[in-house]
Amino acid sequence: MSKTVYLGMSGGVDSSVSAVLLKEQGYKVVGVYMKNWSKDLPGMKCPWAEDLADAKRVATKLDIDFYVFDFEKAYKEKVVDYMLSEFKAGRTPNPDIMCNEEIKFKLFFEESIKRGADYIATGHYAKSEDGKLKLARDDNKDQTYFLYRISKDAVEKTIFPLADLKKPEVKQLAKEHSLSNAFKKESMGVCFVGDVGMKDFLREYIDLKPGEIRELETDKILGYHDGAVFYTIGQRHGLYVGGGLPYYVVKKDLKKNIVYISKNLNSEALWTKEIKLENIFLRDANDMPKDGKILVRLRHRAPLISATLSGATLFFDEEIKKVASGQSIVFYSGDICLGGGIVSK
Amino acid sequence: MIYLDHAAATPVSEKVLKSMIPYLTETFFNPSSAYLPAKDAREAYEAAKNKIANFIGAKGNDLVITSGATEANALAFTAISSRIDRVAKMRQKSDSTPVKKPTLLVLETEHASVLENAKNYDFETIKVDKTGLIDLSDLKQKLTDNVELVSVSLANNELGTIQPLAEISAILKETRLSRLKRGITAQLLLHSDASQGLSLMDINVSRLGVDLLTLNSAKVCGPKGVGALYVGHDARLNPVIMGGGQERGLRSGTENVAGVVGFATALEAVHGHASATRKKYTALVENLKNELKKCKVEPVYLGNKNHRLANFLPLSFPGLDAERLIFKLEEKEVYVSTGSACSASKGEPSHVLRAIGLTDEEIAGSLRLTLGVLNNEENIKEAGRIICEVVNSEYERQKNV
Repeated sequence: MSKTVYLGMSGGVDSSVSAVLLKEQGYKVVGVYMKNWSKDLPGMKCPWAEDLADAKRVATKLDIDFYVFDFEKAYKEKVVDYMLSEFKAGRTPNPDIMCNEEIKFKLFFEESIKRGADYIATGHYAKSEDGKLKLARDDNKDQTYFLYRISKDAVEKTIFPLADLKKPEVKQLAKEHSLSNAFKKESMGVCFVGDVGMKDFLREYIDLKPGEIRELETDKILGYHDGAVFYTIGQRHGLYVGGGLPYYVVKKDLKKNIVYISKNLNSEALWTKEIKLENIFLRDANDMPKDGKILVRLRHRAPLISATLSGATLFFDEEIKKVASGQSIVFYSGDICLGGGIVSK
Repeated sequence: MIYLDHAAATPVSEKVLKSMIPYLTETFFNPSSAYLPAKDAREAYEAAKNKIANFIGAKGNDLVITSGATEANALAFTAISSRIDRVAKMRQKSDSTPVKKPTLLVLETEHASVLENAKNYDFETIKVDKTGLIDLSDLKQKLTDNVELVSVSLANNELGTIQPLAEISAILKETRLSRLKRGITAQLLLHSDASQGLSLMDINVSRLGVDLLTLNSAKVCGPKGVGALYVGHDARLNPVIMGGGQERGLRSGTENVAGVVGFATALEAVHGHASATRKKYTALVENLKNELKKCKVEPVYLGNKNHRLANFLPLSFPGLDAERLIFKLEEKEVYVSTGSACSASKGEPSHVLRAIGLTDEEIAGSLRLTLGVLNNEENIKEAGRIICEVVNSEYERQKNV
């Protein structure tokens, strides 16, 4: 009797090719589209209906069973509300990490097992081996950054069919199996925001509050913004100041609603040798090197760099560009993802 | 390719395309410009409008050209708000009794462009029977004194059910008379969306008794993005789009000369042939049904077989998953739809199929086949064969699950 795998299918090329691979490996594959929370903002349509149709088309083509799991309510509570409250507190959360922890590798995992799955699978670029979460072969696409908080139980029963494939190989496979969505534009970022940017989405929930933009070094007012919460430290876009070298957001005073910017990329406010973390999640304490010397990833697709974890603080050998509070930093040792933590205030 | 979705879109014919090209190229002028060559554009535009109007027994001046049926429907409903404004203004001078909020009645099976626009007003829905025909007793019951506009499509876009507009119009006229006897002057207008069926029915605004009629170029082998609203003399509208005052101020924006010329050419091609066209599609639909008899499980046919657009074949294979059928058929280059394309993209079951009381199983297995210019005896036979093949294998698959 072949083992049953419930595969999360998004309608994209990665999960579609995953379905092909699992089927070829002899699993009984069941495709599942996870319906997450969506809000139709004026003039903006969430692409999920089309994604669902794409996922179902692939499932039909491969002749696998296909279901829709409705996680709208949980997604709203666990991901959207968390994201909004973090932004309101002046932080920059990462909803994808939350979505994986709370929805895909919790609700989807539990529901699938309940329905008789032996394993679950997703189209993430990551590897599950001996119960450990490991880097994918394609280091350019590796998505363990988004997965570091998923439960150990889930990892043990998860298959990542793309673990040993590079993206071009995945695209090639899609072509070979004439999957209709092989060349569909990849969806970027948070699923429910659709094609509109995060700021446009947030404006629907967070009141605009005009405030000053000041230059850090001179304290001179250079312009005005419509809400400090919309700005992220290190960001260089969307500043209402004209011409010349780009400015970077270096500091936010949420109380006074002032955004500080600087032209000086070397500004001290942008660089640091240590970062304080909170909510640290260690996948397996035994894998943690005793001396705390680890590799870290500061954001998705950023290179792995050396650091030393001591208590809840990361120390770097050289100065690094600051990471906004609310963002995650993920730890590695060799190819093992050790876990990670959230940058504190 | 075998295309069985003519209710969603139709190809622009060679003739239509040819008629449009001059107004995109050499006679590209803005019809409102003062110099002589622009007059050619103006004349072509007005002539085309007249042709479109003649098709429904009206005059060019009775039409407001729009960007399609959706806009025409939205504009039609302003007949209500304009009335509120006028009454409010009049009242200000005489007395101060509050203006009763006028109500709009729409059929529950209308297209989203009617239902969504209705939400801007106080509205109620009229029920349909199990074949999708309007429930006239429900209409009568809901015709309270503050109803000012009733909107019922000529033919439903999912089932093809043709509504008895003349009968509805008679009921409204009677109601209006009884209101007048009681000293109530509130208007009572009839709007109809005639997007479907332009090539299959003899449409005459006086015979139908409509005050407002929506026309759509895209479903009759004309270009997309062109529609028109017939506005009878009793209807006063408020423009939705303001600007240069084109279309008697009711729809500003530089005239879409090529589009309107194309629409007129498309209508010309079908004008006077409705009866022959009906015969042709009645026969083709019959052929298709005969082919489908060969399926291991015969479909259930939906809608009203006596009052159905001749090119419509709405059906259901209860127990099957219509979406899977669509994808399986798509692999064999047979294109059909389930419910209306609009409601399908929202991922919710069709409100039309719900309204006619289908079970969840019947709704899930429902397909809309609509024939048209791309079909002939040969490809209909082939389509029937392929549909049966797919349906049989799907029923087989289900047995094994």
